[in-house]
Amino acid sequence: MFSIVIGTGIPIFFVCIAWGFYAGLIDDVARLMSGHITYEHVEYRNSPSNDLWVDDIQKIDQTLNNNSEILTTKQIVNLQGVAHTAKGSVGISLMGVEPEKEIIISFLPENIIEGKYLSKGDERWVVVGQKLAKNLNIDIGKKFVFTTNNVDGELTEELFRVKGVFKTGSKEIDGHFVQSDIGIARKVAGLSNDDVSQLGIIVKNPDNHENFIKDLQKSVAKNSGVFLSWQKIMPDVATTIRMDRTAISSFMIMLVVIVLFTMFSTILMSALERKREFASLLALGAQQIELKIQIFLETIFFGLIACPLGALLGISLAKWVEGYDMMDVVGGKTEDMTVGGFGMDTIITPLFSLPLILQISIFFFFAVQLLSILPIYLISRISITDELRSA
Amino acid sequence: MNTNNEIVSLTNIIKNYDNGKVITKALQGIDLKIYQGDFSVMMGPSGCGKSTLLNIIGALDRATSGSVIFNGKDFNSLTNKELSIIRRNQIGFVFQNYNLLPVLTAYENAEYVLMLQNIPLSQRKEKVMNLFKEMELEGLENRLPRELSGGQQQRVAIARAVVTNPLLVLADEITANVDSKTAQSLLMLMEKLNKNNNITFLFSTHDPIVKKFARKVILLKDGRIDKEELSSENI
Repeated sequence: MFSIVIGTGIPIFFVCIAWGFYAGLIDDVARLMSGHITYEHVEYRNSPSNDLWVDDIQKIDQTLNNNSEILTTKQIVNLQGVAHTAKGSVGISLMGVEPEKEIIISFLPENIIEGKYLSKGDERWVVVGQKLAKNLNIDIGKKFVFTTNNVDGELTEELFRVKGVFKTGSKEIDGHFVQSDIGIARKVAGLSNDDVSQLGIIVKNPDNHENFIKDLQKSVAKNSGVFLSWQKIMPDVATTIRMDRTAISSFMIMLVVIVLFTMFSTILMSALERKREFASLLALGAQQIELKIQIFLETIFFGLIACPLGALLGISLAKWVEGYDMMDVVGGKTEDMTVGGFGMDTIITPLFSLPLILQISIFFFFAVQLLSILPIYLISRISITDELRSA
Repeated sequence: MNTNNEIVSLTNIIKNYDNGKVITKALQGIDLKIYQGDFSVMMGPSGCGKSTLLNIIGALDRATSGSVIFNGKDFNSLTNKELSIIRRNQIGFVFQNYNLLPVLTAYENAEYVLMLQNIPLSQRKEKVMNLFKEMELEGLENRLPRELSGGQQQRVAIARAVVTNPLLVLADEITANVDSKTAQSLLMLMEKLNKNNNITFLFSTHDPIVKKFARKVILLKDGRIDKEELSSENI
């Protein structure tokens, strides 16, 4: 029974930890960028230029916020351009956001290491990444010029001052990403209050949104707008996670094989140790079928006790390590932990997915039942006289 | 207390063991009758076939040839399932190493065979408790085998063998692992069960103490019955 508990517990522990990392990463990236689902111009994916926007956004935003599946939305104006200071020029992506919402949705405001995050209506104030600040030699209160083109294709310039510096651990974000209030971003781009580059949607259940996207596309989207999942918006992140999941799954398969082999050995040993007991029972008049049923019921009983206990063990272990920094265990720098260019949160945050835990527990329950075929087979070959003689 | 009711009739029993290379002739033509109420002992040197014969009589093993008639039924014509039902209902076994189930208490070990017979709980309890009282096992009901002495374990094994009131109890070297005083008390107990409950006993042993209690002694040699003698002292 101990082997079943351990065998079920270890995979559940690993799955809770690994899937927790992925869920955390997906959620963080989606909340920082353009949500689990993004509404944008149908051509924007092919060429994310400043002159591709979606309109009538206030009405769409209101409709989406009334949907029970949606937690919140974020209006975004993206501008690609160049930041200049006396030290030099760096290509950047400026994201105009609603600061009061961004504080609730994104982890970026929490990652401000100098100065402050944006407030509603901040004119010409921005937050920049630590690496960008270093490359442009700018600090809190210092200014830089941002050159971009507006929706009409004309070059435009705007002066910005640094209100805060953030550090996410991602080289891309810390080196080339800037956030401003959406008002000034709209002004620079030449967009009205009813236009955005993207509308990010944060949903309750990020894992299951394909049908939801289809519904939104039918009921909400305008001619030029399209709803896309985060996998399509950030394919590099999705691919990296998929590859990583495949690697973890392969490791899990190996782990399960080892665990099953250990269980098999334990069950084989216990069956061999009980051969004399089985022989005694047969000598007393028990029939083989009765002993087979007895073993089958014993295995069901042990499975019903041990698999939930194993699940509890796995969950408890995962709960125990929750909050620890993985880098303290494996070593290395947090900055090196990136997936698809985005920094990973190395703090262990397990995902306790009930369906996943149930699947693993049920798998081991049935695996144990299959392994019980062995002692059942041994009983059918038992020689009462040999076993009792060897006793 | 022989009532001349024939329980077991063996005719020309031959048992060979074939390991693929060598054929070992364990029994070479045994003819034997056991009657209800017998208190018999089989003796002989090691390898003479005592245990093999006991296993064949107890339906634990099948003879290579010859016939075993037990209470009117020919073992040769019965399936393994039918033989197990005979073992369950009509034969009791007491083994040299007790073979009690280690995870069951003394009470549960004795009760187990009654459970196999589908006897209701209240009757099982009554039968086991009465027998434990008769066999001076009271107070040991809840002990596991490992918590009992060798003699106590053998008493529980005897209780398990006789709790169903079988026609025949087969006892294989039951005094081999106990001291002579305990052996004496075990045999006195079995003699009492034989006389009071008319249970037939057949022993296989090397122990001369057992011979003292036996009313019939069957001497085996090289797989054959060398001599059958009645003990005038015990008749």
